[in-house]
Amino acid sequence: MGKEDLISSNPLRVLGLDNKAEEGRQSLGLVMARAGLGKTAILVQIALDSMLRGNRVLHVAIGETIDKTRDRYDDILAKMVEDLNEEAESDLSRRRMIMTFKENVFSRAMLEERLQDLIEQDVFKPDCLIIDGYDFDGNGRQAMEDLKQLMAELGISVIWFSAVSHREDPRVSADGVPAPCHTIDDLFEVVLLINPQDNVMKLDILRCAYCEVEPGTALLLDPSTMLIQKS
Amino acid sequence: MGKDLSKVRNIGISAHIDSGKTTLTERILFYTNRIHAIHEVRGKDGVGAKMDSMELEKERGITIQSAATYASWKDVDINIIDTPGHVDFTIEVERALRVLDGAILVLCSVGGVQSQSITVSRQMARYRVPRIAFVNKCDRTGANPARVTEQLRDKLELNAHLMQLPIGLEGDFEGLVDLITMKAIYFDGENGEILREEAIPADMAAEAEEKREALLEEISMFSEELMESLLEGGDIDPQLIHDAVRQGTLALEFTPVFVGSAYKNKGIQPLLDAVSSYLPCPTDVVNHALDLEDDEKEFPVSNDPDDKLIMLAFKLEDGRYGQLTYVRTYQGMLKKGDTVYNSRTGKKVKIGRLVRMHADEMEEIDSCGPGDIVALFGVDCASGDTFTAEGISASMSSMHIPEPVISLAVIPVDNKAQNNMSKALNRFTKEDPTFRTYVDHETGETIISGMGELHLDVYIERMKREYSAAVEVGAPQVAYRETITMQAAFDYIHKKQTGGSGQYGRVAGYLEPLEEGEYEFVDEIVGGVIPREFIPSCDKGFQKSMAKGSLCGAAITGVRAVINDGNSHSVDSSDVAFQLAAQGAFKEAYMKAKPVIMEPIMKVAVEGPTEFQGAVMGSLNQRRGMIIGTMEEGNYTVVEAEVPLSEMFGYSTTLRSLTQGKAEFTMEFATFKQVPKSVSEELVKKFQEEKRND
Repeated sequence: MGKEDLISSNPLRVLGLDNKAEEGRQSLGLVMARAGLGKTAILVQIALDSMLRGNRVLHVAIGETIDKTRDRYDDILAKMVEDLNEEAESDLSRRRMIMTFKENVFSRAMLEERLQDLIEQDVFKPDCLIIDGYDFDGNGRQAMEDLKQLMAELGISVIWFSAVSHREDPRVSADGVPAPCHTIDDLFEVVLLINPQDNVMKLDILRCAYCEVEPGTALLLDPSTMLIQKS
Repeated sequence: MGKDLSKVRNIGISAHIDSGKTTLTERILFYTNRIHAIHEVRGKDGVGAKMDSMELEKERGITIQSAATYASWKDVDINIIDTPGHVDFTIEVERALRVLDGAILVLCSVGGVQSQSITVSRQMARYRVPRIAFVNKCDRTGANPARVTEQLRDKLELNAHLMQLPIGLEGDFEGLVDLITMKAIYFDGENGEILREEAIPADMAAEAEEKREALLEEISMFSEELMESLLEGGDIDPQLIHDAVRQGTLALEFTPVFVGSAYKNKGIQPLLDAVSSYLPCPTDVVNHALDLEDDEKEFPVSNDPDDKLIMLAFKLEDGRYGQLTYVRTYQGMLKKGDTVYNSRTGKKVKIGRLVRMHADEMEEIDSCGPGDIVALFGVDCASGDTFTAEGISASMSSMHIPEPVISLAVIPVDNKAQNNMSKALNRFTKEDPTFRTYVDHETGETIISGMGELHLDVYIERMKREYSAAVEVGAPQVAYRETITMQAAFDYIHKKQTGGSGQYGRVAGYLEPLEEGEYEFVDEIVGGVIPREFIPSCDKGFQKSMAKGSLCGAAITGVRAVINDGNSHSVDSSDVAFQLAAQGAFKEAYMKAKPVIMEPIMKVAVEGPTEFQGAVMGSLNQRRGMIIGTMEEGNYTVVEAEVPLSEMFGYSTTLRSLTQGKAEFTMEFATFKQVPKSVSEELVKKFQEEKRND
């Protein structure tokens, strides 16, 4: 499959975020699931899709190593495309940077400082941020609004987060967004939930501001590869 | 009857540079009564540590060549290989790991898991070497063994747990709490040789209890007996705990962590106990040899002294008394005066003298058996050769040897230096498979190549010091490669008629990129259009063409040459004619196959205070580096990048001035990648100019 086909056939197109980004609008996206269901795999696919569309992605991995994060990209890319030539692979790698933080070290101020460093040194100016492992329990609405402001200041068009939901916590928002994000779900343009049902892995679209499909629609996940598919 | 192999440990000591492993080895030798005085690595007494026997190592305060030594702790014989910490010398580390059964991973309690520790850990994983960790330098400002243990888990993904707690840290480091015996241990006497056991200090009792519980819970996974004992409650037999730790360690599923300060003589004796208790003996590890009579089929060596001898030469040294060959015996016995066979050359070798090495001193022995690491005198061989008894044709599996990435010209200043340089190079290439040398036939210069600037620097210094070979050194050259990117056909006739018998050969076929490997020759000739005897001539011709590409003069790799048609002449065709025809064909197709220049890319890791992160990234960016990522831990950051080797010359100076000397970097070869167009054009232009000037 060629690059153009990969982009156009990507099920993520239905979320409609890319058109809004081109219009200069900033959006927040969220992938939720219980622990161990594959949130990172979804975030990596979102990142790769963005990279294939020519954007630069900064992947912030909290509590993870560079090597492990890089391996995730290599694995998922290999599943998405069988024969990627060296030039295309190298081009994609140049569109990605990984930043890892220890759980207790990450803060908005620190992220801002690092991003300023990258931009000032002309090393990397991201269009999209992936923040995997963000602590939603310890950070509330204000922190999220601060991050939104940072996006505007630095010209970042989209930030995707992952959040862990807990089976034993029944709290949900009106749209069905589970805790701990149920009280701030209005800040997100898109919320996806990995929802295992019987033998099927569904990716429920809980919120979708610019969706080209009805909210409540689900995408499917191939359980063996965790690749997103159309339902 | 042979000796009890359960009482033998072959261990390596590996770590990041400056973690203090040479000092640690020195202390081990002191406490095992192998030496009777302690000298520091960069000591004022000018003697230097025992393991740093090479003059250069003493001067630089780093360990370059691993020296093997032997020690005895309680009833256990320990063979120790001290290994270098700089990544340029990893072949030494890899060789050591090949022959060792277990290892101590030394970490600095301040620096923690640094990039070299990651490289070494990767190597240990490759050779499945069980390890215990020693967090050294607990007396230093900023010491934090708990943080280092956490890093072992996070960065190296080891299931690491502290077996001891330090009593005090930094300047207050006094001793340690053993979480198995639940006693405090202090190290008295002038050199910490007297161990004093006391009750755990009251202010540490609760913490010790909590840590012990967590430790027992973790290691109970490796022993059902321990788990049962824990469930039953009551006192736990310490032997059960030791057995569980040992099982977890041998299975590479658990890494016990010990603490101490070698420099302050604290924590070494318990570490030696741990080597005896938790690291494997030769029979705990399955080593394989290749059966040379059965298509190199792998078979496990027996460790049986009554079986036929198999031993591996893993290190050569040119000592005062001639060549010294370090060997590890895997099965059978070797006695003084025995005749053995070199599997590679098939030559018979008589063993004159057998010695057990203790850094640069030696002890004569009469025989050695399975699991022993000893040295042989006067045996002519290369590093990596296998010796066997008569009637067995086996070789120990080959080692992973990386290709050199940097080269430079060495020019002897006079005739005497020329002779000495030849001797030195002959020795070094035998000692170190990553060090290569050849004569460039066009310039007549001797070229040496290796794994990095420091690697070559050390050999140049050794040439001067050990062999009195005064040499001038050219600028370092990156080992570029050329390769093709598409298929291209050839149909070439070599024809020469100058009286007498002429030369005639026609070859047709195509060149195409080869995904893996350097070169492949495919013969698809049918109907004998090229006679069988000239097929190897074509192969030879192509191979000759691969030596030097026409873009920038670099060696060509990654080519499959396929011949499928041709012609010959009953009188004028010859070996030479077909070789020349193949060379002409290669030349014809090469440029059509869109050749490109490839350059070595290094994986670079820069570690330093976070405040310099921006500057470090900027400096790597300027060097055509691709920043892979950054890893932030409080005030300390690691920047990982892939940078072309050609851009890394002089980087240490740049980094020093950028970071006030507070950051350091390591680099290792990662891959070959196509150079950007602008660089390619420059290299081609330079090559053309050189050709014009010749």
